[in-house]
Amino acid sequence: MNRLYDMEPRVMDDEMLKLAVGKQGPREEAGQLAKQEGILFKDVLSLQLDFQNILRIDNLWQFESLRKLQLDNNIIEKIEGLENLTHLVWLDLSFNNIEAIEGLDTLVNLEDLSLFNNRISKIDSLDALVKLQVLSLGNNHIGNMMNIIYLRRFKALRTLSLSGNPVAENEDYKMFICAYLPDLVYLDFQRLDDHMKELAEMKHQYSIDELKHRENLMQAQLEDEQARREELEEHKVAFVEQLNGTFLFDSMYAEDVEGRKLSNLPGVGELLETYKDKFVIICLNIFEYGLKQQEKRKAELETFMECVQEAIQENQEQGKLKIAKFEEKHLLSLNAIREESELSNIETKIVEHSEDITALLNVLMTLEMQLVEQLEETINMFERNIIDLVGLFVENVQSLMAQCRDLENHHHEKLLEIAINILEKIVKGEMDEDLPDDLRSLFIDKDTIVNAVGASHDIHLLKIDNREDELVTRVNSWCTHLLDKIHKDEIMRNRKRVKEINQYIDHVQSELDSLEYGDLLD
Amino acid sequence: MVQAVLKVTSSLDSQRHTRMEVLKEKVEEEEAAEREEAAERAERGEKTKRPMEVRREETTLTQEMLRDLERKLSEIEVSVPEKLLTFTKDTIDTSKLPLSYQSNTLKEEHLLQVADNFSCQYSHLCPDRVPLFLHPLNECEVPKFVSTTIRPTLMPYPELYNWDTCAQFVSDFLSMVPLPDPLKPPLYLYSSTTVLKYQKGNCFDFSTLLCSMLIGAGYDAYCVNGYGLQDLCHMDLTREVCPLTLKPKETVKEEEKAPPKKYAIKPPRDLTSRFEQEQEAKRQEAIKAEEENRRKQEEARLLEQENAKTDPLHGLRVHSWVLVLSGKREVPESFFIDPFTAHSYSTQDDHFLGIESLWNHKNYWVNMQDCWNCCKELVFDLGDPVRWEYLLVGTDKPFLSLTEEEDEGMNDDDDVEKLGKEDEDKSFDMPPSWVEPIEISPEAFETRCPNGKKVIQYKRAKLEKWAPYLNNNGLVCRLTTYEDLECTKTLEVKEWYQHREDMLELKHINKITGLNADYFKPGHPQALRMHSYKSMQPEMDRVMEFYETARLDGLIKREETPKTMTEYYQGRPDFLSYRHVNFGPRVKKLALNSAESNPRPMVKITERFFRNPAKPADEDVAERVFLIAEERIQLRYHCRSDHITANKREFLRRMEVDSKGNKIIMTADMCISFEVEPMEHTKKLLYQYEAMMKLKNEEKLSRHQAWESELEVLEILKLREEEEEAHTLTISIYDTKRNEKSKEYREAMERVLHEEHRRQVEAQLDYLAPFLAQLPPGEKLTRWQAVRLKDECLNDFKQRLIDKANLIQARFEKETQELQKKQQWYQENQVTLTPEDEDLYLSYCSQAMFRIRILEQRLSRHKELAPLKYLALEEKLYKDPRLVELLKVFV
Repeated sequence: MNRLYDMEPRVMDDEMLKLAVGKQGPREEAGQLAKQEGILFKDVLSLQLDFQNILRIDNLWQFESLRKLQLDNNIIEKIEGLENLTHLVWLDLSFNNIEAIEGLDTLVNLEDLSLFNNRISKIDSLDALVKLQVLSLGNNHIGNMMNIIYLRRFKALRTLSLSGNPVAENEDYKMFICAYLPDLVYLDFQRLDDHMKELAEMKHQYSIDELKHRENLMQAQLEDEQARREELEEHKVAFVEQLNGTFLFDSMYAEDVEGRKLSNLPGVGELLETYKDKFVIICLNIFEYGLKQQEKRKAELETFMECVQEAIQENQEQGKLKIAKFEEKHLLSLNAIREESELSNIETKIVEHSEDITALLNVLMTLEMQLVEQLEETINMFERNIIDLVGLFVENVQSLMAQCRDLENHHHEKLLEIAINILEKIVKGEMDEDLPDDLRSLFIDKDTIVNAVGASHDIHLLKIDNREDELVTRVNSWCTHLLDKIHKDEIMRNRKRVKEINQYIDHVQSELDSLEYGDLLD
Repeated sequence: MVQAVLKVTSSLDSQRHTRMEVLKEKVEEEEAAEREEAAERAERGEKTKRPMEVRREETTLTQEMLRDLERKLSEIEVSVPEKLLTFTKDTIDTSKLPLSYQSNTLKEEHLLQVADNFSCQYSHLCPDRVPLFLHPLNECEVPKFVSTTIRPTLMPYPELYNWDTCAQFVSDFLSMVPLPDPLKPPLYLYSSTTVLKYQKGNCFDFSTLLCSMLIGAGYDAYCVNGYGLQDLCHMDLTREVCPLTLKPKETVKEEEKAPPKKYAIKPPRDLTSRFEQEQEAKRQEAIKAEEENRRKQEEARLLEQENAKTDPLHGLRVHSWVLVLSGKREVPESFFIDPFTAHSYSTQDDHFLGIESLWNHKNYWVNMQDCWNCCKELVFDLGDPVRWEYLLVGTDKPFLSLTEEEDEGMNDDDDVEKLGKEDEDKSFDMPPSWVEPIEISPEAFETRCPNGKKVIQYKRAKLEKWAPYLNNNGLVCRLTTYEDLECTKTLEVKEWYQHREDMLELKHINKITGLNADYFKPGHPQALRMHSYKSMQPEMDRVMEFYETARLDGLIKREETPKTMTEYYQGRPDFLSYRHVNFGPRVKKLALNSAESNPRPMVKITERFFRNPAKPADEDVAERVFLIAEERIQLRYHCRSDHITANKREFLRRMEVDSKGNKIIMTADMCISFEVEPMEHTKKLLYQYEAMMKLKNEEKLSRHQAWESELEVLEILKLREEEEEAHTLTISIYDTKRNEKSKEYREAMERVLHEEHRRQVEAQLDYLAPFLAQLPPGEKLTRWQAVRLKDECLNDFKQRLIDKANLIQARFEKETQELQKKQQWYQENQVTLTPEDEDLYLSYCSQAMFRIRILEQRLSRHKELAPLKYLALEEKLYKDPRLVELLKVFV
């Protein structure tokens, strides 16, 4: 399969590409025009570079809109430099020296891929090619049947060629492919008939069923994960993620060494249980409240957007109407000016018409300014409302968080009490039960135990504060971002419209002017 | 005599007397005494419709005399209507009518007596009211009670199940005959069967028939004898507006305004002066008020004009119509039906001036309410004996809505009375109708109007109706509207068609503008829906509408004027919605190719497109104009949703050669474009060149399509002319009478059956019968007898054959002799013969020759067949079951 390096390898340089583009460009009259103007690489849709002794794919980054690329019969060894050609539908790399499939991850639109007559031994790295319909891998070094199972993921694959590979020599080759790729229509340029498919299915039923089962499991798992992620995302949008459980409470104790030690004290276990229950209930409250507030904010935003859209739409309709009316008049007066023969009349008419144009400009601008004013008012109203909403949300969350803190304080006092009691017992030697060594080490003197309990308390408070701060900052930043965006969008819209109006007026004026010159020339 | 009758139905009577008295007591709150009673009657009389001077001091004798006089007068008048009634008297063949028509049963006699008695009492109690219409004579001069003339019948046609169609049928089917005396009910009331047979009748016949059908269909319907307006009684619709000319009221749907949303923008401030607005509004109002005033005056004037002639007999004209009470068949409210016009009226309508009595098939009620205000205040609670006096007790109208307090006053007496009444109820109820079941044949039902044609004159309109298939062009209805009341100036003509093969449904001709409009049902070969035109010549003003779903090109409408053609499309894959073609004047061609079509040159083609969702808006063409003469192409693109202006592009392709004579392919000034958001690739000459090439091709295509459209118009016009010419009607394959094919088939089947039958009869002819009859009956045949029988039979047959041969021979000879004689005569007188005689002779000769030839043929055929027939008979005789045993030996 190796072709000898009988010729000098060539480099894909600008010259070569220009030549190819020029040769393959439009013909005849259009060709003359194309030559006159030159063709930009980014406008080229199809490029043929066969029998050019190319060793390395290069310099193709400009061909952004390329649909079809033929690089067959070269001496390419590695697939590279195709990252920018995202619109590629057809790629021919047959009769080259490629050893591995790679560098195709951005070509999501690829439908037809030919790697015929290369040195490929493994089918992989094709995951991105979801639209793949035709895959040609004949005359390669593929030896493992399992490569075929990889192709199951391409739901659109209809044509496959694998002849000339070691796999194809397997006597079960055809049956195997039929069974594992049931949607395939053509194999090695032959149509697969239904009878064959049935036979194959019967033969490989067990293994396929197993495979399917595994695939289904995988699929289900993926979907689950997806759903979970989406849910979390939803909660995050409401700024109350992971408040619907014991997460915050657990995190409070995660870094709290002393606390964990202290929980082994007699009586603390029950205390901790009730504390946890109460804490979790407050967390759930915050969570539900957050979701509700999120709904409210969403609804508010939606009505606002709707109203703004309606207002803009209505304004546009008015503008369109005005323009349509003007256009009728415009055509008529242009014709009238054209047909008028007396110079003085022409001039008066031209003056009249320019006045009309100015009037149109004024009307359109007034409309736009009116809209700007109206929208500003509405936006301000919305801003006030949404800030109020967010403020209320923050306030309520803070009060709930304060409850958490109260609970923590309460728990801390209780814990301290128990600890001191136990310390007293230990000091008096009345302690019956055995305490673990690391716990006992805390009960050396009063200071130590108070410090330990205090440290645990501090950590807990810190966690609660952190969570609260996170929520507040995020919701506030969301709010400011949203408002910024709305203001910016409105400004952009306004500028665009003003530009559009000016452009149109300029165009109309230029039409009139060109007429003037034409008349003057006559 | 009155006393005698009173005795006969004494029980009923006394009851009634007491009840009436009780009622009166209640009304007047006075003791029952003869004199006072009379006074009350007088008072009541004043309240009834036509108050009459009745003095209570007058003796009964003079009253009697007056009544006598009245009776005599009425008898004198009778002779007049009898002459008028002759239209049926002579023609009705009473002899063929069933017995029930010609005589009364015992029960009917009894009923008549009851009725007479009732009538007597009624006239006694209410002397100032006209005598009741109780038992007119029928076609056999037999008095029949009106209720028994109603024959409830449910018609087998589903169309006649509802009251409106029923009434329409009756009004169409019968032609109206005015009452002999417009001030009195008729003396005769024929059975509905007779009326249907002759398709003629007065209002009583109409309402009796309609009532029979409605009661049969389950309605609670009654015949009414009352008084109506002149127009109503004469079926005069010339003052009514034709219902077909009325435009259906457009229901204006008020769009519900959505409540303003929270962030809805505020409208811009209104800077106009409020004072000025108010002044303006005031001025407008003043103008409007003035106009309104003028309009009202005009209307009043018109109304006056129309009502100029008042009826001297207003309120006296007798009419009969049908009352349908609510309750049955989901009728929500009681209403009247005028059987002449089939219109329904509310019970408060002005057309009806009063009610004397009403009846259905079970009972008869007399109106005791005052009709001073027409029928507006009548209460149709037939169970209320104060308002409605009934003839028979306790049929199915119980005391419908007697209020509680009325009940309380007479509860005790009532109970006792009711007990008595119930006994009598069982003893007497309405006898069954004497009329035969009403039958309408399908042919008559389809033909509807007498002779299938009916003309109704409305105010400024004339409506003509025909039975389907009566006119061979399928015309079933024509409405002509006129400008003036005298119906001389035609405004417009509307013609409805049915069963047309070209699916023509309605032809609308406007006589003033000369505009014709044909409307079609779905199914025209060219999917035509409407065609409006002034002339059938091509290239004139016309509009054609199409059923776009039936057309491949989705054409909805094509409008034409002499210089333009506009087409509207919908649902096309290329999103074309509109094409407008301007034509220039025809170029004069040489006479050489005059035979070829010379299409007008197209000057301008404008095409508009719907939005193609697959393309971005600023690359999706909304309108393109091909200015063919100027070689210009203008494009306007769709407007993007966030823009108010749209892209435009104009291609000029005039300069093909530059100053040096080189061919210019494309220059920048050949394409002027305006882009809202300038794009880079469209600036390229190559892009512009390619776009222009494409447009050139499309221009060719559009021109071709426009040309094809023109051809299609010609084709349609030709087709329409052919269809108009042929006006063939479609006949359903189930219509066995009209469908020629099925008729032929059926007739053929009948013929086959008939022949089969004849053959069977022939086969049953017993050839042995005459011979067997000679033998003593009942005895068994001996062998000798059998042989003799056979021989005799054969001999007889032989004789017959010979006789036949002789007969034919004799005829043959006779013919030949006559012919010879004639020939001889001809030869002798050949010289003196006139040409007519000669002709006569020649035709005789040829006929005679023909006869002779036929006879010859018959003879030879007979000679051939006779032996065969003889043998066949012999064979048959041998096999005859009666002889087979005895003749076996010889076989």
